[in-house]
Amino acid sequence: MAQSPSSASLSADALVEGVTDALNAAAVANLAAREPAWLKARREDAWSVYEQTPMPTTRLEAWRYTNLRKLLKLDSLALAAHPGGVPVPEGASAPEGASVPEGTSAPEQGALVSLPQRLEEAMAEDRAASGHVVELDGAVVHVDLDPDLAARGVILTSLRNAVTDYPELLEAHLGTDALPATRGKFEALNAAFWTDGVFLHVPRGVRLELPVRLTRHLSKEGEAYFTRTLILAEQGSQVSFVEEGVSEDFARQTFFSSAVEVIARDGAQVQYVSLQRMGSGVFHLQQQRTLAEKDATLDTLNVSLGATVARTDLNAQLLGQGANSDMLGLYFAEAGQHFDHSTSQDHVAPNAKSDLLYKGALDGDARTVFRGIIKVHKRAQRTDAYQTNRNLLLSEKARADSLPNLEIEADDVRCSHGATVGQLEGEHLFYLMSRGLSRTQAERLVVLGFLAEVLSRLPLGGVVEKVTRIIETRLANHG
Amino acid sequence: MPQNETVQDLGLDEYKYHFITEDEPVFRSGRGLNEKVVREISAQKDEPEWMLQSRLKALEIYNAKPMPTWGGDLSKLEEVLDQIYFYVRPQEKMERSWDDVPAGIKETFERLGIPEAEQKVLAGVGAQYESEMVYHSLREEWEKQGVIFDSIEDGLKNHPELFRKYFGTVIPAADNKFSAMNAAVWSGGSFVYIPKGVNLDTPLQAYFRVNQEQMGQFERTLIIADEGSRAHYIEGCTAPVYSTESFHSGVIEIVVLPGAHFRYTTIQNWSNNMYNLVTQRAVVHEHATMEWLDGNLGSKLTMKYPSCMLVGEGAHGSILSIAYAGDGQHQDTGGKVIHAAPNTTSSIVSKSISKGTGRSSYRGLCQVHEGAIDARSNVECDALLINDTSRTDTYPYIEIAEKRSTIGHEATVSKVGDEQLFYLMSRGMSEEEAMALIVRGFIEPIAKLLPLEYAVELNRLIELEMEGSVG
Repeated sequence: MAQSPSSASLSADALVEGVTDALNAAAVANLAAREPAWLKARREDAWSVYEQTPMPTTRLEAWRYTNLRKLLKLDSLALAAHPGGVPVPEGASAPEGASVPEGTSAPEQGALVSLPQRLEEAMAEDRAASGHVVELDGAVVHVDLDPDLAARGVILTSLRNAVTDYPELLEAHLGTDALPATRGKFEALNAAFWTDGVFLHVPRGVRLELPVRLTRHLSKEGEAYFTRTLILAEQGSQVSFVEEGVSEDFARQTFFSSAVEVIARDGAQVQYVSLQRMGSGVFHLQQQRTLAEKDATLDTLNVSLGATVARTDLNAQLLGQGANSDMLGLYFAEAGQHFDHSTSQDHVAPNAKSDLLYKGALDGDARTVFRGIIKVHKRAQRTDAYQTNRNLLLSEKARADSLPNLEIEADDVRCSHGATVGQLEGEHLFYLMSRGLSRTQAERLVVLGFLAEVLSRLPLGGVVEKVTRIIETRLANHG
Repeated sequence: MPQNETVQDLGLDEYKYHFITEDEPVFRSGRGLNEKVVREISAQKDEPEWMLQSRLKALEIYNAKPMPTWGGDLSKLEEVLDQIYFYVRPQEKMERSWDDVPAGIKETFERLGIPEAEQKVLAGVGAQYESEMVYHSLREEWEKQGVIFDSIEDGLKNHPELFRKYFGTVIPAADNKFSAMNAAVWSGGSFVYIPKGVNLDTPLQAYFRVNQEQMGQFERTLIIADEGSRAHYIEGCTAPVYSTESFHSGVIEIVVLPGAHFRYTTIQNWSNNMYNLVTQRAVVHEHATMEWLDGNLGSKLTMKYPSCMLVGEGAHGSILSIAYAGDGQHQDTGGKVIHAAPNTTSSIVSKSISKGTGRSSYRGLCQVHEGAIDARSNVECDALLINDTSRTDTYPYIEIAEKRSTIGHEATVSKVGDEQLFYLMSRGMSEEEAMALIVRGFIEPIAKLLPLEYAVELNRLIELEMEGSVG
């Protein structure tokens, strides 16, 4: 019974998986030091959930095919420098010489010399927008918004500024209804450690014609980044939000955690797009939850192209009658990449509809997992819910796992799901080749056609062209 | 739904296999599972030492494995297992003539119509009562051709080499917690060998009956279909309804050698107090075919996923599963196919009906190993929900490591359509008749593959269950 203090603390540590030199209670306290009491308490609560939740293993259904013991090296990560309490000047240039454009069509108007090249390239095409946000290494360095929209009450700001400027809205909606820390280990980790992110609030009846764009870049290897996106679209409003992530290629694992909360009030129409193009070495974790209230339309598109390991959790809640969610996903995994998409369509209210289509191509020794579930609750009568996952294997070494699940507790429903894994159809290739195309050309066309179905269902300006071009480049490498 | 007296008066939804035979077993183990029970069973069977050791090893594995947390609700199972008798020996020895079977036991099987069916349509019959096969017989013509259809115990005694070559190879004790349990306490079941090229044109049948309260049945069946042979094996299961839970955990191992064709049919109609956790698997060699026909109508909870390991080029596996979950029942069933060789093909068709508070879950695996080029698999699940308290789930696992393969899974869930009902009723049918007709149509693909008397039985059962259910 006389245990030495060191062995006692050692065994206590062993119980708390994922507590490291960088990620610990002191670091949380440090982050929360100058924050309002509600946020401080929320971080501390989140940290205690994190401590009490065991690290997911492959014994858990949700992590069956993604082995964190092998793929995630939390111990080796450093915590990205806290951006500090200095608010970002809105619509003005960023601190530390990272000069960023002003105005809506700005990218090439301002002096861009000090921006990372990959970020510049990503932004170059994104001229048409209602507003821009630029996030560098987990801190928002630039925000601009169409002044007309600002005048009509639209809020687009960094999450850090929002804590100061819109405390009521944030306290009510940040990590509460959509993505509370109690949902799981990594939701809790993000809630404890987020450093910045975006807050977008669209008031009642306001409709944004052009999308709001968030572009982020990671430059330092071996670090852990945590950011959040909170989108609140009030009754009858309309908005599209496109976020795109790029980074350098890293030799050491770099961890990026993104928590996305999207709330569409009655009759609102929201489109959320995530375009993940991180460099190698990145472990990209995004956890998204969308709440669609009465007659709301809340569509999502997740495009996964980059990172070494990318895990996306998307939970769509159909909370009000007449709610509608189109859930689209597209992935192209190459050698060395491991993608895991885990989706759920939660039909809580009757008369709602959700339609999911995730398509992916796999090359090299890529590994992809799709795990989806349609859950129809007892009172969700007259639900229409569909789920389709299709995979195209382009290489002998690739492996695709697909688990399209249904759990149905209401009887008056129309639900179906389908999953396929296959190779390029010989006949399709033959047909194209008989028209004079080379085999490589024909293959490219068939794969592009296969993936284009997803993009055609959410043809947001810029995204289709950009993704198509990236896939074309990849296919050229494959050829 | 019309809650009128007619429905009540008809006394429907009643389980017709509830009758208890008064008889005294000749031996009964203590309650619960422990080494003593395992040794007793082995001693009662006068087994060779290697089998005792194999049982004891399996018991260790069973104790080491955690209770599954997926599938059905097993949270109360440990309590149940502490109370049940793992081994109940109903008579001294197995008989080859119904005349020699003790009167009470014989009466049970007569009420189930087994001897009659034997005379009419079957090539051979085995009857298990509690823990032992009480009757086994095979028509002489088949015996002459070298067909072996025996109790598993006699298989071990009379054909030790063949037995040991295959026993536990398809489903090792360590496969899962309940295969380990079965490997420790197995008793009863069939040993079947179909010689090369023999085509058994009528089915073999085994009937499993649990009579005692709080009893566990652990039959073990080993079937070897030699090259180019062809046969069909049917098992049926019933038990009386007691207020306490009973437990059934079988292990069925089948080896389908090159070019053979084997069909295994289960019509499981256990009483609604039965936990039914069964492991069934076939290893299918070159150009052989294995067909599972799995009908799950009874039990409180069934967890059973017939599997085909397609290890030979051109092997084919097919699983046809029908589940009916009435009030308080959970059918967690489905199938697994593992494509481990080129040009293998498989199909899983699952149909389920959930009524009242019943829940049916499809759980399946389709796995294609690297190198299993041109593997093709198709999975189709249809679920029918009768009431708003019913539940259905679909959990397919698709794991593909071979580019040159074609794999598809489709599932639909629907309610019996108002339009369908309306149409049939406009033709003069009552609502109940219309519902039964729709449901019969839904399960028809399976019913038509069953021998006639089973198809009739299945239809009758569905009809019975459907009456008074229209909501």
